[in-house]
Amino acid sequence: MNISTLIAAARADGRVALDEFNGKQILAESGLAVPNGVVVADETALDSALMDLSPPYAVKVISADIIHKSDAGGVAIGLVSNAAVENAIQGMRDRLHPGGAKIDGYIVEEMAAPGHELVMGAVQDPQFGPLVMIGLGGVFVEIFEDVAFRIFPLTRHDAIDMLDELKAAPVLAGARGGAAVNRELIVEALLKFGGEGGLLAKHAGAFTEIDINPLIVSTDAAVAVDARFVMVPS
Amino acid sequence: MNTLNPRSDITDMPDAEVCEYFAPLFTPRAIAVVGASASGDNRANGFIRQQISFGFKGSVYPIHPTAMEIEGHKAYPTLADTPTPIDYALIAIPAARVPDTLRAANNRVRFAHVLASGFGEVESGKALQQDLVAAANEGGVRFFGPNCNGGYSPRGGLTFTAGASDEPGGVGIISQSGGLGVDIIRRGQERGLRFSGVMTVGNCADLGPSDLLAFYLADPNTKVIGLYVESIADGRRFFETLRRAKGRKPVIILKGGRTTLGHAAAVSHTGALAGDARVWHALSRQTGAVLTGNLEEFIDAAMTFQMVPPNTMNVRGEQGPIALFGNGGGVGVLAVDAFSERHLQVRAFSKDTQARLAAVGLPPGTSVANPIDVPAGTLAAKDGKIVESMMEMIFEAETLSAFVLHLNLTVVWSHLVGTNDKLVENLIAAAARIRDETSGERTIQIVLRSDGREDIDSRKRLCKILALESGFPVYDELANAAAGLAALRFHETFLASLAE
Repeated sequence: MNISTLIAAARADGRVALDEFNGKQILAESGLAVPNGVVVADETALDSALMDLSPPYAVKVISADIIHKSDAGGVAIGLVSNAAVENAIQGMRDRLHPGGAKIDGYIVEEMAAPGHELVMGAVQDPQFGPLVMIGLGGVFVEIFEDVAFRIFPLTRHDAIDMLDELKAAPVLAGARGGAAVNRELIVEALLKFGGEGGLLAKHAGAFTEIDINPLIVSTDAAVAVDARFVMVPS
Repeated sequence: MNTLNPRSDITDMPDAEVCEYFAPLFTPRAIAVVGASASGDNRANGFIRQQISFGFKGSVYPIHPTAMEIEGHKAYPTLADTPTPIDYALIAIPAARVPDTLRAANNRVRFAHVLASGFGEVESGKALQQDLVAAANEGGVRFFGPNCNGGYSPRGGLTFTAGASDEPGGVGIISQSGGLGVDIIRRGQERGLRFSGVMTVGNCADLGPSDLLAFYLADPNTKVIGLYVESIADGRRFFETLRRAKGRKPVIILKGGRTTLGHAAAVSHTGALAGDARVWHALSRQTGAVLTGNLEEFIDAAMTFQMVPPNTMNVRGEQGPIALFGNGGGVGVLAVDAFSERHLQVRAFSKDTQARLAAVGLPPGTSVANPIDVPAGTLAAKDGKIVESMMEMIFEAETLSAFVLHLNLTVVWSHLVGTNDKLVENLIAAAARIRDETSGERTIQIVLRSDGREDIDSRKRLCKILALESGFPVYDELANAAAGLAALRFHETFLASLAE
């Protein structure tokens, strides 16, 4: 995939960040798991578009004008049929379009299996270059600030050490009867993202900030459910 | 391009090459001083006199446009006119005149310290700093600063501050603050530190922390490296140099401005959460460099590493207890807190050990559980022999991870008037003997506490020297010992993790 083409197109569109679908393609290219999904322009040909996918589905609006999709009502989850997807898309258009948001389409993707929500990210530090972050994700990221940073590139030891640093480490290990996640999957995801030869090694120069939130981690997968790639200003 | 001053990356040089490269700075044969007055007296005049009284044996060349002689040394009009090339130049003239002075060096000056402020640290001086860098490049000079205080290298007879010890040591310092550089020398040497060098680097327009880090890592005289940093323009290079070093020498960092928040314009969670403290914490975890919170802790850590070689055996497997042994009950209790807060465990000794200690027949008031509270009377009993046998017993019965001997000198000496006057000295000697006769692997720390009264402090100083000469790290309070031990264990844990 040609990142510079993606970036040029996104800039031409007036975006500061890549759209979610393109962001996820970059993740997939680096071997990170993303949900199976398609982009549709509208709800007219869902049966053929969703042929290779299995419910339940999530639908997310694609629009450069909407920064917080879920706050704006641009996300629907747990949709068990094509009809439900159709309804969701119609609903989003009715809610968002009159507000003036330019809608570029909708992502329809398979829901990730339930698990712990982590956040994985990167930011360009003016002195040290790319920094990699892992932490407790979802909507609590900036409330609990349970995150750990390391300077790129991560070694395997760094990845394990930053997971151990989280206050939530015992929770991820299945404390108090909760579900244990497969820690090795998180370590692998961190290395594919911020390790030697990982995503950042290839693309760090193009982006100022990257958030993968949530990264849903269960016993058998670590799936990047949402991704935000903020581009270096032109 | 000056062949003497190649601009290849210093951090990539092999050890021998980087040592040779910096030798003119740390052991200069010829020093030039720009800015001394022929008629008056200023900082540069003071510097010349200071070098001579400090024992500098090489040539001193004052540089002055017209004067024939300054401070008894023949003067020369420019840096290019001296009879031999210049290893080190102190540039103590106003900012505006510095670039042309360096431009005229004609590849005859290896290193310079540019003291003047008014360069990149202020908006109006940014262009002047650019010109300075270009001028130094043209003149073939590598320099530190501007906006700094100079350098201290006792083995080379170089100093920028009065009252600095002429005794060389193993602590190599890099300081982005000139004033703090003086503090580190003066307070550090009172605590017992001896330096392989203290270089102030100011704005780091040319050479900076990464270059000196590479030198100190290679320098066989340097055992431990300390840095005071505020911001580091070549952070990437610094990180990579440290990471490549794989903890071959302990590195201690005092970071100023840790409370700087995340990237102000951040639009992501990651960007908003990435503050200065997190970056330096990351660097510390990834390189084994020890972060310290203030000057006191910085010196505690340097003291520990100066005296105690790191040993990964100390952090492998089950950790034995840290023995706290000395006079003062409350002090012992507070010490347990201070050590525990740094994840250093002071556990009670085994029942067997306690029984053996009790069987010595101790006077009332002596606690044997750990911390061991030995009142001054017990310390003094039988000329200290009881205490010596207790120490011996503890070393024998327990697999200690550390032994901390703490003495409240004020109490000991007021208790002992007219009796055993050499008790403290004897206890230090006993600790040394026991260390040498046992495996010697345990970390032993000595804390000499004083109320600060002049007579106590001056006696304490002699005991401190004795303890240092006996090979022990010495601290003023138990909290200092805890900070030092925590630094050592952090570094050892990092080394152990590399070996996994």
